[in-house]
Amino acid sequence: MATFFGEVVTASSRALDEDEDYDDDDDGAYEEDEHIHKELQEKREVQLNWGPGVSAGGCGTVPCSNVIIAVGHNATNFLSAYVLNSTAWEEAGNTSVWKEGKTAVFHRYRDNTSVLICQVTNYVPEDQLFQWTEKVLGCLHKAGLSVTVLSDCPVSDYKTSDMAYSSSSAPFLRCLRTSTSRSLALCRPLEPPNIITGLPAAVLSQCQIHHIPAVVYQCYTDVITPDSITMETYKPLLSSLSKVVKLNPSPSAEILCKYVKSSEIQSNLYI
Amino acid sequence: MAARYDRAITVFSPDGHLFQVEYAQEAVKKGSTVVGIRGNDIVVLGVERKSVAKLQEDRTIRKINSLDEHVCMAFAGLTADARIVINRARVECQSHRLTVEDPVTVEYITRYIARLKQRYTQSNGRRPFGIAALIVGFDDDGTPRLYQTEPSGTYHAWKANAIGHSAKAVREFLEKNYTDEAIAVDKEAIKLAIKALLEVVQSGGKNIELAVIKRNEPLRILEAKEIETFVAEIEKEREEEIEKKKPKKSG
Repeated sequence: MATFFGEVVTASSRALDEDEDYDDDDDGAYEEDEHIHKELQEKREVQLNWGPGVSAGGCGTVPCSNVIIAVGHNATNFLSAYVLNSTAWEEAGNTSVWKEGKTAVFHRYRDNTSVLICQVTNYVPEDQLFQWTEKVLGCLHKAGLSVTVLSDCPVSDYKTSDMAYSSSSAPFLRCLRTSTSRSLALCRPLEPPNIITGLPAAVLSQCQIHHIPAVVYQCYTDVITPDSITMETYKPLLSSLSKVVKLNPSPSAEILCKYVKSSEIQSNLYI
Repeated sequence: MAARYDRAITVFSPDGHLFQVEYAQEAVKKGSTVVGIRGNDIVVLGVERKSVAKLQEDRTIRKINSLDEHVCMAFAGLTADARIVINRARVECQSHRLTVEDPVTVEYITRYIARLKQRYTQSNGRRPFGIAALIVGFDDDGTPRLYQTEPSGTYHAWKANAIGHSAKAVREFLEKNYTDEAIAVDKEAIKLAIKALLEVVQSGGKNIELAVIKRNEPLRILEAKEIETFVAEIEKEREEEIEKKKPKKSG
């Protein structure tokens, strides 16, 4: 076709298969892109490393009846103060992610090695959540497995028509479970339109697909730093945990202070 | 939800909320706990002291500030906002002395602070002050006073109150334990303030700062040793209570 200035240009047509017109020179650039993409993909692989005591030969071989995953400062510190605070637990493995380092640590109960606790200590990028969940749950033997997830969430994300409720009642617990979960409800279910996001959502979705009984306990809190009152909100879970492991029901004030102080942010914005 | 009505201070939501004022009240909860007790002959302010960075001078972090010789104030919330309010209140106290040749009453200066805060809830382009304050002192006639102001610009007189983080728990403790006998003696009023703070303060007396004003005396901030002595007395009394409640062994 002719343009306004009289030059003739070839009009593009959807009838033609444009791939046939590719120059041979372009193949080099395309290969280089592919190579870079492949390298990036390899780097962004979630690394799952089991300790020497764990026999993880292949898919679904790690024996496990109960796994408790904690996401967020208060959830991880709750498990550290109330459950892991004894020599009955040993470190069983960890996961690591490119540029974030060690993201999660696994602990195994010595007296019953099918009970695992996973403390997610670092951020897992959104695009790697599915991969992380698939790798971790993929390693575990699914028959008889039950999953519990503890997660922190800011109370400002809690949607309710009663404005006064959320701020005056924080911290509080809500739960969301898979269809195969039959465990006793330890708190109220999460009301719509509230949703679970991030790693707890990825774990719950994976469990729903594979028909694994799972429940997420989300703690809505108005404090951004680890706080002993928020940690105590998870206490109702100790009743179900005590059926599988021996627990220290009330850690001393010194132990609680250790976990609260360790993450104190030095800020003079509010006093 | 709040979405379209919480950005500008001058906008009411359809159900009558001023969201910026309510959010300012959330900022107050981020500050550490402050408790105020009005006794018969003494007013007490107790605060939870936040831990400071290692290289920071802790004298520069003061939650309790005097506004005049006979009035002092403790706040919870945004530090910088508090500094502005305190400076304005101090100037007003001196201006009142020069103009009227009398010191301010506690109610006057509280009303001044509350009016200042309210102005910032009704102006274009300004946000409310993110602080609540407990103002204590003695009037000229010797009456002890305790007032509380909020980011909304309201103020009320109290016998005892708490603001900041965990204020609700401390207020509940005060409602159960504030009695005329408990505040009859100065020492008991001080101990009540410490007991109230110990309900929520982690790691005990080390993180408590206490200030008192007695009739015709200036503000006095208690030394750490004095507070430790009171804490030890309180712990001894608690142990004695527990011993009394134990069932006696039959002989």
